[in-house]
Amino acid sequence: MHLGLIDYSIICIYFIFVIGIGFFIKRKVKTSNDFLMSNRSIPLWITSLAFISANLGAQEVIGMAASGAKYGIMTSHFYWLGAIPAMLFLGVFMMPFYYGSKARSVPEYLAKRFDEKTRGFNAITFAVMTIFSSGISLYALAMLFQIILGWSFEFSVFLAAGIVLIYTFLGGLTSAVYNEVLQFFLIVLGISPLVFMGIHNAGGWEGVVKNLPEPMVHAWKYMGHANDNAMGVNIWQMAMGLGFVLSFGYWCTDFLVVQRAMIARNMQSAQKTPLIAAFPKMLMPFVVILPGLIAVALQAAHSGYVLPMKPDGITPNYDMALPSLLSHFYPSGILGVGLTALFASFMSGMAGNVTAFNTVWTFDIYQSYFRPNESDKHYLMVGKMATVFGIIASIATAYLAKSFNNIMDFLQLVFGFVNAPLFATFFLGMFWRKTTANGAFWGLLGGTAAAALTHGLTLAEGKGAWIANLHEFQSTMGQNFMIAIMAFCSCFVLTYLISLFTKRKQESDLVGLVYSLTPKPEAAQMAWYRKPITLAVIVLILTFLLNLIFY
Amino acid sequence: MKNMLDLRFVIGAFFLIVGILLLGSSFMVHFTKENGTTVNRDCGVVFILFSLIMLAMWKWGTKPTEEA
Repeated sequence: MHLGLIDYSIICIYFIFVIGIGFFIKRKVKTSNDFLMSNRSIPLWITSLAFISANLGAQEVIGMAASGAKYGIMTSHFYWLGAIPAMLFLGVFMMPFYYGSKARSVPEYLAKRFDEKTRGFNAITFAVMTIFSSGISLYALAMLFQIILGWSFEFSVFLAAGIVLIYTFLGGLTSAVYNEVLQFFLIVLGISPLVFMGIHNAGGWEGVVKNLPEPMVHAWKYMGHANDNAMGVNIWQMAMGLGFVLSFGYWCTDFLVVQRAMIARNMQSAQKTPLIAAFPKMLMPFVVILPGLIAVALQAAHSGYVLPMKPDGITPNYDMALPSLLSHFYPSGILGVGLTALFASFMSGMAGNVTAFNTVWTFDIYQSYFRPNESDKHYLMVGKMATVFGIIASIATAYLAKSFNNIMDFLQLVFGFVNAPLFATFFLGMFWRKTTANGAFWGLLGGTAAAALTHGLTLAEGKGAWIANLHEFQSTMGQNFMIAIMAFCSCFVLTYLISLFTKRKQESDLVGLVYSLTPKPEAAQMAWYRKPITLAVIVLILTFLLNLIFY
Repeated sequence: MKNMLDLRFVIGAFFLIVGILLLGSSFMVHFTKENGTTVNRDCGVVFILFSLIMLAMWKWGTKPTEEA
């Protein structure tokens, strides 16, 4: 891919803007609350777009196009089934407790609802996970730009890390959120032309469909049996594993996305953040997944476009679907915009992880366990130092990933084990007043162990079965969904049983933390069309229609 | 003076600059692909229109956004 002067100019203009945002916001950052929580002052439209943008890193953008090329429109399940319902649940039922409890983070909610050991477990695993995720983003960016532009690994790593460090150190969370919103518009406006051009080149949507295998243009029709579709999953695994456990476990408990709603100006905005975000989220498959289908259709139609192959010369390199389409269709100018969008999404993914890390480190680990009674100025300094540490650790992780790629797969697997049972803990904590601290903690540990056991006793595509091989799944995706189901169920049952026999908090201590013990006067006074549930129902209906159209 | 740190202004300004660059580049023949696509011109116009909408929302928005 050859870049012209105009392409480099657009990339430079973007860098100037993101750094400039950091410098301007710096003047307003005076307290740790300003730096780490934006002083809970962000308008609804910004929190809504940042909410989906925080999950729109380049690994998602590149990965979704790759999945689109490999699995077809079934990839939309990650949005229409694997995101929307959970986002609606978060907004309608869970945000009142996250926001109303005045918790500054998800682990802090766990401390208030349960105890310090549950908070500590969640905080430490989350902190480690975000740093590794940030480093993996950096590694993926450097590898991609090495392939498509010939930039050295070191140049990409230090350029991206340096720019993210500047604007997050100066402006904190607000700076990261602003850039996420800018990134959202860049991705939509930078990649949408590609979709239009690709569909036009393929002969319209009918031309795309004509040149794709039948299962690739249906989301649900071939899910009766795992053998019938390329994903290797059946409808039950998809609905329960992705649609319920993994989806709710991520969208309802991961502090990286929940933080974007927690910094809203008031309760109503906090509740509406994921609900408003659901509207553009519904449409994102048309921007990020369609390019993958278009790539396969264009190749099948012998249009002159060819999907790049892996070094073995046999396997298509689906990860290169989007970059190769950019190179094929975009002239210099809009090419610079497309690449800036990719760069922006990598950097925002990194910035989002680092800002989530520095909040959890400062409030949930440092303030809770090391120096609890320091001045706010001290915690502001700690937050800034945590930002620097987060960036340095991300760079180190990127190099680790370069040297030991399997370690990254292993770490992601372990974090998957830890994440899988989380929703059971939160669900029981928020909606069953009798859930105890010991029930929550040991349930979490038990759920994590169940996840590891399931992986150790089952095989999929040569992975797992390190204890014994009791069952073989069609695909690793099917295995991951079953791991999530087992972890959730184990955590749920263990938490319930242990709670029955252990001491619980006084109900007076649980007001604002548990649904049944929290008065809801605001909701009662609102007109029906202003209630969050009304917005949620509208989104659900639209999502259902989309699933029907692409059945 | 309206708050220039309002994100609507920032987004509007960014896409206005990029839109003008794209539109300007579309008049240089060698920037178009060989099949004659004028995607730079079309995207430049769309970007400029989008930026004008964002800038209008910044200027005539009902409430100035408090940007931290």
